Amino acid sequence: MNMTPIIQLNDLYKSYGSTPVLKGINLNVSPGQVVGYIGPNGAGKSTTIKILIGMLPDYAGEATVLGMDVKTNSLEIKRRIGYVPENAALYDTLTPMEYLQFIGQLYGLETGQIERKALDLLRLFQLNDYTNARMTTFSKGMRQKVLLISGLLHNPDVIFLDEPLSGLDANAVVLVKEIIRQLANSGKTVFYSSHIMDVVEKISDRIIIINQGQIIADGTFAELQHQRPESLEQLFAELTGSEGQTGVAEEFIHTLKN
Amino acid sequence: MTPIILWLLDRLRPLFRTMGADYGQLRAIVQVKLTMDNRRSFVSLGRYGKQSEETNNSFIRILGIYMLVGGFIALGILSFPEQDRMFFPLTLQFSYTMALCAMTLISDFSSVILDSSDNQIILPRPVSNRTLWLARVVHISSYLFTIALSLSLGAIFILSNRFGALAGVLMLVLSLLSAVLMVFLTNVFYLVLMRFISEEKLREVINYFQIVMAILVYGGYQLLPRLMDPKTRLTQAFEHQWWHYLVPPMWMAGAVDTVVRPAIDQMHLIFLALAFIAPFAGLWFMNRFLTSDFTQKLSGLDQESRPVVSAVSAQETRQTRVGWVERFADWFTTNPLERAAFAFTWRVTGRDRKFKLKTYPQLGFGLAYVVVMSIQGQTFGSSSFFYLFALYFASIYVMVAHYQLGVSDNYRAAWVYGSAPIREPGAILSGSLKALIIKLLTPFYLLLSAYILYRYGTDKISDVLLAFCNSLVMLVSSALLSTRYMPFSTAQDALKQNITARGLLIGIVLGIVGFSHYGLTFVPYGVWLAIPVSIAAFWLLFNQYKKTGWDQVVMG
Repeated sequence: MNMTPIIQLNDLYKSYGSTPVLKGINLNVSPGQVVGYIGPNGAGKSTTIKILIGMLPDYAGEATVLGMDVKTNSLEIKRRIGYVPENAALYDTLTPMEYLQFIGQLYGLETGQIERKALDLLRLFQLNDYTNARMTTFSKGMRQKVLLISGLLHNPDVIFLDEPLSGLDANAVVLVKEIIRQLANSGKTVFYSSHIMDVVEKISDRIIIINQGQIIADGTFAELQHQRPESLEQLFAELTGSEGQTGVAEEFIHTLKN
Repeated sequence: MTPIILWLLDRLRPLFRTMGADYGQLRAIVQVKLTMDNRRSFVSLGRYGKQSEETNNSFIRILGIYMLVGGFIALGILSFPEQDRMFFPLTLQFSYTMALCAMTLISDFSSVILDSSDNQIILPRPVSNRTLWLARVVHISSYLFTIALSLSLGAIFILSNRFGALAGVLMLVLSLLSAVLMVFLTNVFYLVLMRFISEEKLREVINYFQIVMAILVYGGYQLLPRLMDPKTRLTQAFEHQWWHYLVPPMWMAGAVDTVVRPAIDQMHLIFLALAFIAPFAGLWFMNRFLTSDFTQKLSGLDQESRPVVSAVSAQETRQTRVGWVERFADWFTTNPLERAAFAFTWRVTGRDRKFKLKTYPQLGFGLAYVVVMSIQGQTFGSSSFFYLFALYFASIYVMVAHYQLGVSDNYRAAWVYGSAPIREPGAILSGSLKALIIKLLTPFYLLLSAYILYRYGTDKISDVLLAFCNSLVMLVSSALLSTRYMPFSTAQDALKQNITARGLLIGIVLGIVGFSHYGLTFVPYGVWLAIPVSIAAFWLLFNQYKKTGWDQVVMG
């Protein structure tokens, strides 16, 4: 852990209007790590990622990625990172090939190179029959695959994934998990946000839990478990203050009966 | 069209470089945007969702119309005035071009300018604000240029024929520059709006703005030819006023006038300078100062739309806020299903921007048309027949609104109709129709009849009442005759059935009913006696509609 950190956050504050979202995040990530970034809805996960990839420049505090300040060097950072957003936003009137061509060109890749790579990657995701079909008809899983490819096409050094497994079928989940693992093994850094606890538990080298804009736990799963020997799910519930879900469930059933 | 634009862009590559854009990225963005436009139907350019195929047919059709309209206007105002009286006709020509450009920008391309899907897709990529912004300007301008060109083609032809090629070329260049100027002004307009209005409200405001603009255009087509009394107003000798320097179309007109006369004096030189400098100064200004601000504001558009915790807690809502909707729903509906559909339709028609954009302008125009006709038309408008015509004519607009009830962008949510245990979908259809009648038809008729009673005398009250009842009857009949969709359950393009045939049929029925009504006015008390009959017919038909079974409903 004595390498220069690839992601660094110092006292990061961010608010939308008058509602504070991030209240002082401090974080160092070394290269080659898979970081699982988890927290309940509205905890500030996506906001943190958006700041790191330079989409939200008006924050307070310090944020550097690959040793560069996010505020001043966002273009250079964007060139070397990959981002897969959570809400499956893509231009779905295009075909996967057209879309990937477009994204590739934004990174300044050669069209021939994009075409070759895209074809291979689409084939590996078993989308080769749909290369030239418009994505309006695609299922959520198929869109997610195209999104994943579009975020990784330019072979980035740091990869930000926001719920990368949503909509994927079981086989694709296994495949993507393995891809994430091997990306990290080849020295890339993966910053990974998700709600699916057992996936996070399995693939992360390090788990960071945030709640209401603050980091409340940080360490390897073993370290976190060391405090209380439970599953990540239970730990998460405990730390984010939503214990006693059994009681809530009972009340829920009770209300339905009325 | 796309290859031509890209070819032109490639020629201009150095220009974009000097403006600080990454040309490769810019080209890619413009190309993708144009491709997508070709595959998407234009929201209001090609009204009523004429889905274009791979080629942009609706757009080309519109260009054709613009060319015709522009040609006629040019022929009417530019072909006869003396050489030294061309200034006002030219001003009119440029005003028209600029107005249509601004209109198009606001009504059709505000979605392009304020497209926040770019936020998710392009902002995370290494694209600079300037490149993205320039790409947007190029994308919009490519449409505006073709629109401006098609509008002024006639004028260019006439001018070069009468005053030599130089005048024609100048006309061409200045038409394009007018489009650039409009891009600048609309950008400034949006930025000013964004400064004073919170981002989440911006879309609302723009929506209302679009509605007003649409009414203005519909009205403009009707009004403009009437306003142009060529003998008197246009050929006045030009008297220069200082404020003429503030009116952009006059810059352009003055510049062309320089060549037409030809005249080189102080005034013409100032106009010429303004015409050429202002658009470029605008471009430079936008590129220099507005780009980063604009994109930043734009990325704010999405952020702001986080769920807002409403100040009123759930408990309070339940007890105190029995709003108008609930009260009306209680008064006008009979069973819970109908009540639900009533409230649902009421709320969605008030909030769905697309619905509002498609119906409200029509209604507004209906009113405007009646008022304009009754004032302008010397023979037709003052005849005793006209107010009847107006009353029945107006009901067409309400039928169009009813037609839109089936359409929604969120049509996928219509699965609830399938999964809920609904035995009689007719109750939902009737509840939704009732909401339309109470919310749109009645206020519309109240306004219309208020005007008619004011203008033609209060003794026309019986005619107004009968026309209202008859309109209800026709609305239900048209609902009964056409394909029945659950409210907001189909995508736009599913609706492109034979509108024209149905429209013709309705037109004929409308005519027959209208003429019968006219006949009744000659029978003593005939109109008063017909009202109960009409109400009874409405009652019967409505109950029929309410009994609609699943087999009669088409699910999208």
